[in-house]
Amino acid sequence: MTMKKYRHQIISISVILLFGLILFYIGTDGFTAFTEETARTNKLMKEQPQVPEVVLEDSTGREFSFSELNGKYVFMTFFYTSCSTVCPQLEMNVKEVYDQVPEDYLGEDIVFLSVSFDPERDTPEVLDRYRKYFETDADNWRMARVNDRVELDTLMDNLGVIAIPDGDGDFAHNVAFYLINPDGYLTDVMDFEEIDFATDKVLKVLEG
Amino acid sequence: MKQAIYGLILLAFLALPPARELAESIMSIHMHMQMPLIAVSGFLLTPFLQKTFPNFFAKWNEKGLPGFVLVLVVILYWMIPKAMDDALVSGFVEFMKFLSWWLMGVALRDSWGKASHFMKNALVFTIGIIYIIMAGVYIFVDDQLCNNYLLVDQRTLGWGFLLIALCIILYFVQALFINPEDYEEASEN
Repeated sequence: MTMKKYRHQIISISVILLFGLILFYIGTDGFTAFTEETARTNKLMKEQPQVPEVVLEDSTGREFSFSELNGKYVFMTFFYTSCSTVCPQLEMNVKEVYDQVPEDYLGEDIVFLSVSFDPERDTPEVLDRYRKYFETDADNWRMARVNDRVELDTLMDNLGVIAIPDGDGDFAHNVAFYLINPDGYLTDVMDFEEIDFATDKVLKVLEG
Repeated sequence: MKQAIYGLILLAFLALPPARELAESIMSIHMHMQMPLIAVSGFLLTPFLQKTFPNFFAKWNEKGLPGFVLVLVVILYWMIPKAMDDALVSGFVEFMKFLSWWLMGVALRDSWGKASHFMKNALVFTIGIIYIIMAGVYIFVDDQLCNNYLLVDQRTLGWGFLLIALCIILYFVQALFINPEDYEEASEN
């Protein structure tokens, strides 16, 4: 008769465990995301948002709107030049992907675009100096800033880029590779440390 | 009754927007102070609830085990980095945070009076293990786990976990050598 004796306890424990299971399921988007960053990436890949229309200014001082890049894949990252931690690493990794893309595709079928979210400090001159560290072509790999604050915020918002100023001139920000298709839609958000994965992906879409 | 009033005042204070904003602006205070304080408010209200609904507690939490399970579910859930980010951006999740920690406080106090010595030790031990694991995660992971907090906040939080875990270990160590009954007055004789 022990079962009967513990009946109420078993019921309440079951209810609590069920409640816990539902809570974990909802809270982690069905056990797929334990950090906000994963949840964000999953959501972006599912929704494939269109890159909003923004006007950029690159390291040569040229102004261009994002839609001018339509017809080409865009390999996009977000950074700022004063960043001494993750951004140099991010752009070094972009460089590794960049170096592995056959020259015929560069500028024709794919453009690399690094967007600074620190337009006050990252003037075309500063961006050009930064670009020179990487010894890249300013046309095939454009480093640019968005001068209009509203446009920059919309762009970052749509692509889920978060950059919190820490008060000392630095930002806490999330980092990823973004691949935009020739129609201007985001198709992939990739781990910036998985260089081989990103390279394979890029070569596959270019050859496909 | 006095306790219940203090509990309500504490809860109301914690729920005030400026108090919430301040507590949640610092990761460690959010995790190690605000959330436990919500539980304390539940703790203070428990005697009142026990008096008001005596049958409910006696029937559904007779030996205290269900309450302990609830305590662990709530603690484990709020260890998820995403949960803390969600609480900052969603009013509903913020409400759920208050509700779950408050219930956790009620469950803990109700169960503590009923549970056996072994169960209490098992609960504290489990929490200690969870906290050591979380300390490892928050101190050694180089990725930013919460989008709304800096990496340095995350490290600090990890050390907070470690400190609490060490206190728990210290408690068990002293329990090996010290028998509390030696220090209690023999008033019952």
